[in-house]
Amino acid sequence: MNRNYLFLAIAMILLAGGLLLVPERHNYQQIKPEKLMWDITQPTRFVTTDQVAKKIIEGDPTLELIDIRPVKDFEAFSLTNAISIPIDSLMSPNYQGYLGIEDMKVVFYGNDDIKADQAWVIAKRMGYKSIYVMEGGLNCWIKTIIRPVEPEETAPLEDFDLYQFRMGASAYFTGAKVEIPDASKSGVKVVRRKKGAAVAGGC
Amino acid sequence: MGPLIPQEIITGQWDFVIALLIGASFGFILEASGFSSSRNIAGVFYGYNFVVLRVFFTAMIVAMVGLMYFSYFGWIDIDLVFVLPTYLNSMLLGGFIMGLGFVIGGFCPGTSYTAVAIGKIDGIFFAVGTFVGIFIFAEAFPLFEDFYTANDLGPITIGEMLGVSNQIVAFVFSIIAIVAFYVTWLIEKRVRKGMTEYKFE
Amino acid sequence: MNTKSDTKQQPRYINPYFGGILLGLLLLATFYIAGRGLSATGAVKLSVTKIVETVAPAHAEANPYYSKFLPEDGGSIMFNWLVFGAIGTLFGGMLSGVIYGRMKKFRVEHSPKISARTRLIAAAAGGILFGIGSQFGRGCSSGAALSGTAAFSFGGLLVMGLMFGVGYVFAYFFRKLWI
Repeated sequence: MNRNYLFLAIAMILLAGGLLLVPERHNYQQIKPEKLMWDITQPTRFVTTDQVAKKIIEGDPTLELIDIRPVKDFEAFSLTNAISIPIDSLMSPNYQGYLGIEDMKVVFYGNDDIKADQAWVIAKRMGYKSIYVMEGGLNCWIKTIIRPVEPEETAPLEDFDLYQFRMGASAYFTGAKVEIPDASKSGVKVVRRKKGAAVAGGC
Repeated sequence: MGPLIPQEIITGQWDFVIALLIGASFGFILEASGFSSSRNIAGVFYGYNFVVLRVFFTAMIVAMVGLMYFSYFGWIDIDLVFVLPTYLNSMLLGGFIMGLGFVIGGFCPGTSYTAVAIGKIDGIFFAVGTFVGIFIFAEAFPLFEDFYTANDLGPITIGEMLGVSNQIVAFVFSIIAIVAFYVTWLIEKRVRKGMTEYKFE
Repeated sequence: MNTKSDTKQQPRYINPYFGGILLGLLLLATFYIAGRGLSATGAVKLSVTKIVETVAPAHAEANPYYSKFLPEDGGSIMFNWLVFGAIGTLFGGMLSGVIYGRMKKFRVEHSPKISARTRLIAAAAGGILFGIGSQFGRGCSSGAALSGTAAFSFGGLLVMGLMFGVGYVFAYFFRKLWI
């Protein structure tokens, strides 16, 4: 046998044997850690209660609200058309069909936004896109949408617009009689919130 | 960091230029190694010519070990490399049918193109046969649609299946290949002694 | 490797291990560039789909297999990585054939024990089997057995093992075709 073949074989075995000494790269089937880190530090995953309320009232078909609280709480009170997926069963295969639907914006909410944020991280790690967290959760929802506080007289005009929207929304969600005179006219579409404007009365 | 096209580092029409070049290199290597001759290829089954085994296994272990090193050095994201999904039933049948086709036809589709390229009529017949075969398959497909996707194990790797890392798989394959090279070299020497009429074409 | 009698006719093939290393590096480069391996039957599959689509568009649309590959945006199915790869394979083979002097007039290569006609029938039968088998196996010897196994796919290993295994089992019955 040709001696060169022996050298080749030894070289090949050494090369392949070298693999046994190097650690295996971890398989991240889902999102890469760097990307996850970046996404977590971005505030863009949050949507405000006002934005959610507006989408519900407008009947936006791309909105998919997911209630991550226990089923008991969900049955007691939930947002319009929300789906109940308790956070501990988020990874259950039964629910995967609700996530990652094309063109759908999934918004997680809980009583506050801590649990919802955890749900968001889990879903992100599973590789889902277009997922959001409702900022402040249901507590904020009650404070801003259901029982909005009238701004001070000196507050900027936008705050009054927002207040009017919230009054309208409150009426929409609670079915209460509208108290302020032109709330019906103010409707939903009156509200034009400027980009980047801080949300007045945010939680 | 690779792979380049899935990450859209190379885009647009360059894809096709690269495909053409890769295809041309593939064809060149196959032809130059002697795969344009069906009698060379079929020799692997009768012990008179193990060129298929040599080229095939060498290529496989080089690519396997190389892929692992590329991954280790961070040159390629191994998760983006396409792992052929395993459909157990369908693939077992497919392997069986192809094995039969291999020993009867003496080519596989890639090598038949190179045989066509140098003017072998049997290569042309084989290549046309693959068209007919796929046509038959597609026409009959509704009959065995369920079978085609039965026992879907997904893109599972050999390492995952055996519960070891793929580095170990690459290492074990390299050892097996080298042992096989030696053993087949011995076999080939013996068989060829008794063969007089076999000539390379 | 050399038997004295036919040294003259023996064509110049490259060393098989050298060829294997080249092929392995090419495969590695393909993984690096395209993220997937080499393929030969993919192009045939698309061509068959194209032919059927041209001849009977409604039939292609209705068939659950062809319709998988028909482009949704109405683009041409043939403008595809796989097709260009197959065309390249043909040219690469020609180039090598010219360089090593194997490019000759059309001929049939067969064992002296069988007629050219038998060889052609066997070749066509083998081709048909390969066509059917490659669709069940999700690729042929290049796509599933070589590229699949090199990317550590378990299915690729299955196909490779079975392909060679079955070949050996049935080799005895078809020995007349070859030796």
